Amino acid sequence: MNPDKVRSLQEVVASVPEGAHVALGGFAVSGCPIAFVHEMIRQRRGRLTLSQAVGGMDTDLLVGAGLVDTLIFGGGSLDRAGLLNRVNEAILRGRVRVLEQSSLAITLRYHAGALGIPYIPTRTLLGSEMLEPLVEAGEAEVAEDPFEGQRIVRLRALRPDVAVLHVQMADRQGNCRILGPTWDNLEKARAARRTIVLTEELVDEEAFRRSPEGTVLSGLYVDAVVPLRFSAYPTACYRKYDYDFDHLRRYATLAQTEEGFAQYLEEYVLGTSDHEGYLHRVGEERLRDLVADPERGY
Amino acid sequence: MSKSQRYSPSEMMVVAASRLLRDGEIVLVGLGLPQLACLLAKATHAPGLRMVLEIGVLEPEPVDPAIGIADPRLWYRATCHTSFTETLGVLLQGGRIDVGFLGGAQVDRFGNINSTHVCQNGRPVRRFRGSGGACDIAALAGRVIIITPHERRRFPERVDYRTSPGFLEGGRSREAAGLRGGPVHVITDLAVLGFDAETREMRLISVHPGVDPEAVQEATGFPLVWAGEIQTTPPPSREELEILRTRIDPHGWYLR
Repeated sequence: MNPDKVRSLQEVVASVPEGAHVALGGFAVSGCPIAFVHEMIRQRRGRLTLSQAVGGMDTDLLVGAGLVDTLIFGGGSLDRAGLLNRVNEAILRGRVRVLEQSSLAITLRYHAGALGIPYIPTRTLLGSEMLEPLVEAGEAEVAEDPFEGQRIVRLRALRPDVAVLHVQMADRQGNCRILGPTWDNLEKARAARRTIVLTEELVDEEAFRRSPEGTVLSGLYVDAVVPLRFSAYPTACYRKYDYDFDHLRRYATLAQTEEGFAQYLEEYVLGTSDHEGYLHRVGEERLRDLVADPERGY
Repeated sequence: MSKSQRYSPSEMMVVAASRLLRDGEIVLVGLGLPQLACLLAKATHAPGLRMVLEIGVLEPEPVDPAIGIADPRLWYRATCHTSFTETLGVLLQGGRIDVGFLGGAQVDRFGNINSTHVCQNGRPVRRFRGSGGACDIAALAGRVIIITPHERRRFPERVDYRTSPGFLEGGRSREAAGLRGGPVHVITDLAVLGFDAETREMRLISVHPGVDPEAVQEATGFPLVWAGEIQTTPPPSREELEILRTRIDPHGWYLR
């Protein structure tokens, strides 16, 4: 019998040490582990290093709450709902150290971490102003390909302490079905020392064993499974529910100022005791309206 | 030009971009005008064109307007959902992407693109989206087509921050940095531009119908290379406009 990895949200957040390197799974308005981020804010787990190829609402919330020291990322936005205003302001004001790179660079760095190799060569970043600060920080170096003699970049492997993914289905052992594109999520989950998944649906292991070809992330990489409905809301969960554009838009508008952001946090995070409290604040009717059309997936 | 063939600046940009795409090419696109240019090319001269979205979506056929590439509306009826490792790694870095489309807050004389921040008195004062996959596309696509509105502040002599490499300092500096490819065309609401084969400076290729070449220079923060007679961009045909308005963007989500 495999160990049961189902845990409560409070428990997994309490297990994340101060100063940890956390890799978040979101991309702009899709797949952000919002429930996890909210609980991190409630428990004030701080001094974090965050890494992510494309930041979304998950990153903006943690940076806005002042819990992030270092940001390793390729950029991000809330698509047409707005920019990552809290992230952008924190960088401009020097409140967060930023190591910018490209989406391919971050993905390759996770892949190197997963493969257990110290660095990985690439041809991206050459000619970009992102390269020099990475070299100065000891995260990259320009080298010569020993076989063909071309200029290449060596990128240092990334091994996050904790990766946090949002998925549609998982079993108690942490085997995951991820529907839709996966951007850099599989690479970061395999690179991390510990991986936590928030799942919309907890599925019986027997059901997965009947069609193992559908499992895209093995439970071998997963340490904790947190079953929570609407745990990516207001971002989208493909084939489960749509993003809430009005909510995202209101957030992006409020997050233009520190006061507005504090008001949002009070309303939806600090003023709610847990994830169910947050969903209650949003309202069941609103959530029902967002349930995905089974054919289109949104 | 007859009244029935009136068109918007965005329609001109999409048509000009679509004509630069060839049948059978694999194109890495973003939301909006580049996506429409691909769909128009597919519906006209390039039925075998294939679209890739960097998030990990191959050959989608969306039917609803999306708010960005993270919007599942854009992933509809794709042939494959996959990862950055495949789109930016295997396809792009592996040399299989023929064309990449890019936009940005600033484009300079040598086609370098800034999507990170703008400066005042040497200090960053406003930030945007950053790179995402943009730097990867600029560095690794077979050729790059830049689409952007033509305003003087968007076309500085030198970008405030070089997120995505064009021809760097011009001449052979891109090759010296270890990069191939590079930007080939810049499409704006005023003109189609390219780059001089030797100096790699931006040059005017054609102005859109009714646009004075002097107005293009006026809207550009550096002197454009301007060799010989300036052509006029052929306007959108009746067929192209009809396909755009009835099949590709029937509700005017992107073009009106």
